[in-house]
Amino acid sequence: MTEPVLVIDNLSVTLSRDGRANRVLDGIGLSAAPGEIIALVGESGSGKSTIGLALQGLLPRDSQPNVTGSIRIDGVEIIGARDAQLRTARRSLVRAVSQDPMGSLNPTMTIRRQMQESAGSATISITDWLARTGLADPERIAASYPHRLSGGQRQRVLIAMSMMVGPKLLIADEPTTALDVTIQAQILDLLRDLAREQGTAILFVTHDLSVAASFADRVLVLYAGRIAEIGAVRDVVDAPAHPYSAGLLAARFDFASDRLRPLPTLPVERARPPNVESACAYAHRCPMAEDDCRAKRPPLLEAPTHNGTVACFHADKTAQLVRQSGTAAPWQVPDVQGTAIALELFEVSKSFIGGRASLFGPRRTQQVLKSVTLSIKQGECVALVGESGSGKSTILRIAAGLLAPDSGDVSRVDKVTPQVVFQDAVSALTPWLSIGEQIGERLRPLRLTATERRARVAAALELVGLDPALMHALPSELSGGQCQRAVVARAVVVPPKLLLCDEPISAMDVSLAATTLNLLGDLRRRLGMAMLFVTHDLAAARIVADRIAVLHAGELVEDGDPDALIAAPRAAYTRALIAAMPKLHAEAGQ
Amino acid sequence: MTEVAQAPATARFNGREFLRRVGWLESIGIVGVGLITLIAIFAPWLTPYDPQLRVAEAYLPPSATNWFGTDEIGRDLFSRVVLGIQYTWLPGLAVIVFSLLLGAVIGLIAGAAGGKLDLVIQRIVELFLVLPSTLIALAVVAALGPGLLNTMIAIAIFWWPWYARISRDEIRRLKARPHVEAARVAGVSGPRLLLRYLLPGTVPALLVAATLDVANIVMTMSLMSFLGLGQPAPAPELGAMTSRALDSLTTYWWLPILPAALIFLMCFLANLAGDGIRGAVRGA
Repeated sequence: MTEPVLVIDNLSVTLSRDGRANRVLDGIGLSAAPGEIIALVGESGSGKSTIGLALQGLLPRDSQPNVTGSIRIDGVEIIGARDAQLRTARRSLVRAVSQDPMGSLNPTMTIRRQMQESAGSATISITDWLARTGLADPERIAASYPHRLSGGQRQRVLIAMSMMVGPKLLIADEPTTALDVTIQAQILDLLRDLAREQGTAILFVTHDLSVAASFADRVLVLYAGRIAEIGAVRDVVDAPAHPYSAGLLAARFDFASDRLRPLPTLPVERARPPNVESACAYAHRCPMAEDDCRAKRPPLLEAPTHNGTVACFHADKTAQLVRQSGTAAPWQVPDVQGTAIALELFEVSKSFIGGRASLFGPRRTQQVLKSVTLSIKQGECVALVGESGSGKSTILRIAAGLLAPDSGDVSRVDKVTPQVVFQDAVSALTPWLSIGEQIGERLRPLRLTATERRARVAAALELVGLDPALMHALPSELSGGQCQRAVVARAVVVPPKLLLCDEPISAMDVSLAATTLNLLGDLRRRLGMAMLFVTHDLAAARIVADRIAVLHAGELVEDGDPDALIAAPRAAYTRALIAAMPKLHAEAGQ
Repeated sequence: MTEVAQAPATARFNGREFLRRVGWLESIGIVGVGLITLIAIFAPWLTPYDPQLRVAEAYLPPSATNWFGTDEIGRDLFSRVVLGIQYTWLPGLAVIVFSLLLGAVIGLIAGAAGGKLDLVIQRIVELFLVLPSTLIALAVVAALGPGLLNTMIAIAIFWWPWYARISRDEIRRLKARPHVEAARVAGVSGPRLLLRYLLPGTVPALLVAATLDVANIVMTMSLMSFLGLGQPAPAPELGAMTSRALDSLTTYWWLPILPAALIFLMCFLANLAGDGIRGAVRGA
């Protein structure tokens, strides 16, 4: 048995925010062998990124971190180490690859200089390393500045920079979320190969269990800063022992999910009960919680279903829970499906004017849309799928009337302007105005009395599953999921004939994404709205839409029934998209 | 779809957290600025003696009865300095508030309108910004004749463009933000979009700039008085008092030093307060 490169023992972290101390990590224990890949899975706020920061000694000083326990990387204790020791550790022992490669690169230095600096005194061939990460022209890349590279190239550069010093541990915090699906798989393959070659352990932070399943050896499921379950990734995916892992897996949707009924979801997060110290942190959401779960904190026990461990008193009943899920009533077939058109785009094209090639050169124009023709019937949902830069958001903005096309026609039948559900709900709400006032804006033209208006806003909030009392709250007092519901409430308080959704789930964890898809699916059927759903996620498109249109480089390459399109894609680009989808049971299927 | 998420507890004001974010020295600045404003407002009732009358012998050094000593005709210097705070501080605040309102409105118009109007306003603003402000202000006062109101006008003419520029840039920045676009999609337009969705967003930046400028204004006004272009002689303006007593620096040091020290203290506290407010706004 080789020595573990990482030993975490009873790690607890308390961070303060606005003067309130908050235990973010609670009794974490973990060890990793050389070359082992461990996935940290949990929803936002579960503390998974905090583990990564604690391992590098980079917890934000502003939040007055209080850290107890022990972290040993290759025998070096990180907790309580002095700054100089931490710097040495960060240089040679533990490296990190972040979600945002641009933010991790210095825009004023060439790649070569940054890599030299990062390597320190070690003599390393930079071009060799760039070539090893699959970059085609390493000489050119080394001489470039970061802004000249694509997102995927930057991430490869960052991986080369991290791995060239032969670190014992690599922390990869959602390294592929910002990348297109087709590139994600390549980056993960690269990370795995390098880890095996160099004997580097990888802590892979993600909210996506299926990505974890295709990549990691072991998985650690975190809930509210505590370990819910650890085990070999196959075991946990096939037979989860903790009800939370089971819920996360059930909320996962892929090409095999039932699209005729609402997706199974986890119960909504409520305010955590105060005496969680002596209780299971998941008890208030758990469908099988009993009295002992609320009276005692469950220790990590051997899992009944696999060789790992699980923090649950009733883990033997989880299998039953899994069997019960997926029994929601099917969607009602909408009866408004007529021939009337909600939106028609006819040979729409659009170019943007970019920067100049040289100081006095002509401005470059970039054609984003080349003659796109698309129509949406009333009550129909069309998903527009494509990767970043394909022009899908431009179509949405033209449909919303926020942009004018260069040529072509846009026709809408409705007098109510189409409403938009934005990608980032938090930034789509004005921070200094109450939720109720912002939703009420759409009622202003109706000239209602204040009481009537309040009643309509309350009804809209209830429609999207929010407490009507939240109309007096400011956006900052709401969670991300609640903000998304408030944005939807603003869109449907006066139901439009057409709802435009701009990647509404791309920044969400699995459970929240499934909840949002259910909400949109329910509302569009109940209110008879047509919907244009822009996404890069083909699985989500299949679930939400009646028809999928695939956009590639400003042109529609394919358009058809979701299941037929996925079963028999005609365009090469669609095939690439489908092949790149991470699959939960990939190895079992091969 | 019937799950009802509960409303979170509303965040309450937390004194210790505020102090941590602002910093203790800066907190002293904020409290100090408040105190100075109070003293300035109630100055006539706070003076131990009548600042315009002879109360003791001339040139008495600071003592228990006359804390700051007496001046060349036996007036109580402490009483004159207390009243001087009113004469220096309140006009300074008035100039700031006036410039701030004017600049914010002009910036709002330029930023919101864009296009030609924005271009014209921008050039006018730049015209004011490139002129040597103190020098022109001196010329304006010299032309209009010395006096409190004229001094204030002269300074305000050169102060509002700074705020106009900040306000205009903030509006332009906000207009591109998703929440403003979302409001437009929801049908908000015209003055309502300007006043409810754009204007409040410019307040933090303007507030920080204005607080940091208080010290500048106090200095400029004192400079005007020092050069004899401020308020006429009997008024106990701090800059003018320093200027008139400069000859006695080696013989009766308290006459120029103590009023000058008060100017320094006011500017110092105002700068600290500005730093503190900047910290609080950034952390929020």
